[in-house]
Amino acid sequence: MPKTWGLAGCLVVAGAGPVMAHSPVPGIEGFYVGLLHPFSTPSQAVLMIGLGLLVGAFDVVKVRWLLGSFLVASTAGLIAGFGTAEIDATMFAAAFVACAFAALLPGKTALAALGVVAFGGLLIGAASIPDDGPMRDRMFTMSGSLVGANVGLLYLFGINHWIRELYTWAWVPIAFRVAAAWVGAIALVMLALSFAEIAPQG
Amino acid sequence: MTLRATITLLAITLAFLGTAFPVLAHAGDGYGGGFITGFTHPILGWDHVAAMVAVGLLGAFLGAPSIWILPVVFPLVMALGAVVGILGIPVPAVETGIALSAVVLGLMIAFALKPPIWVSAAIVGAFAVFHGYAHGTELPATVNAFAYAVGFVIATGMLHLIGIAFGILVKWPAGRVAVRGAGGLISLAGVAFLTGMA
Repeated sequence: MPKTWGLAGCLVVAGAGPVMAHSPVPGIEGFYVGLLHPFSTPSQAVLMIGLGLLVGAFDVVKVRWLLGSFLVASTAGLIAGFGTAEIDATMFAAAFVACAFAALLPGKTALAALGVVAFGGLLIGAASIPDDGPMRDRMFTMSGSLVGANVGLLYLFGINHWIRELYTWAWVPIAFRVAAAWVGAIALVMLALSFAEIAPQG
Repeated sequence: MTLRATITLLAITLAFLGTAFPVLAHAGDGYGGGFITGFTHPILGWDHVAAMVAVGLLGAFLGAPSIWILPVVFPLVMALGAVVGILGIPVPAVETGIALSAVVLGLMIAFALKPPIWVSAAIVGAFAVFHGYAHGTELPATVNAFAYAVGFVIATGMLHLIGIAFGILVKWPAGRVAVRGAGGLISLAGVAFLTGMA
């Protein structure tokens, strides 16, 4: 029986033709590009991870408010839109603040965390404006960015929460705090580098 | 695995090793080069290694909450030191500070000193500035800065973990002696760095 299935599988593979089924919706490629955009530059990736570590330390009841504020703020940022390069340093600074909260005060100061998450969402949204082009294509890309950022944060929280629930060892929350300190340190170094470019040398 | 198969496998491995050509495909720039350069920077400097391991050892020796506070404080303050270095702000006696960190932290472990948590955090944080400064000023212009930062932060954290893992031996009487002995060795190494013997 397995041999028959194997032979059938080989025939199917050998007889395969070019796939014509992709892109059923014209312009959908932009949506996929947008999905990955919130993780496509160091500043955005570090900010998203920092926010994920911050949000992941809170219980589910509070997290819905944090995620809700991120959704509203990222939408607002997308409408306001400044472009990535202009706010790179601000994103690193926000990532450092988020990581500092996650490392030093995890699961505490919910109001401050709400502010940090909302500000982070605003920056991620503002950095997700595509280059000039047809409005339809830009809308696809921006929709993808909005979904990518919000689903990305939801996944980061989910992974964080899942690990905490699955492994109840005392060192697991410590590991998250240490990870937040590492990511925060990276954000701070990158923040300095973004200023070092304009600082007088020598 | 039978003896014959093991010998065959060993012979094939030796044949591969004996006929290997130099690899010319790796460039020392970009993300990969930046990460490797950053990752190896703390590891290839013995003064950094001694102090990083000492931070982990001290944290484990002091127990909770120091076991997590010190490895959290160190990278955050180290990054501030790197910022100072990258911005070109002069800091005197950086190498002396790095060597002293090994001496002081090693002595604290060797003599089983248990200061209040804020004192140990302040000591570790003060020394972290020197280590971060060295990483910041020695950032090569040709490598990817982000990958370099990721590399040296991860390497530093892993050295802390080695110290913590060894420091957990303090649960047992013989382990306590071993950990204090390691602290003594680290402080001696620090003296060697300080006097230029190593």
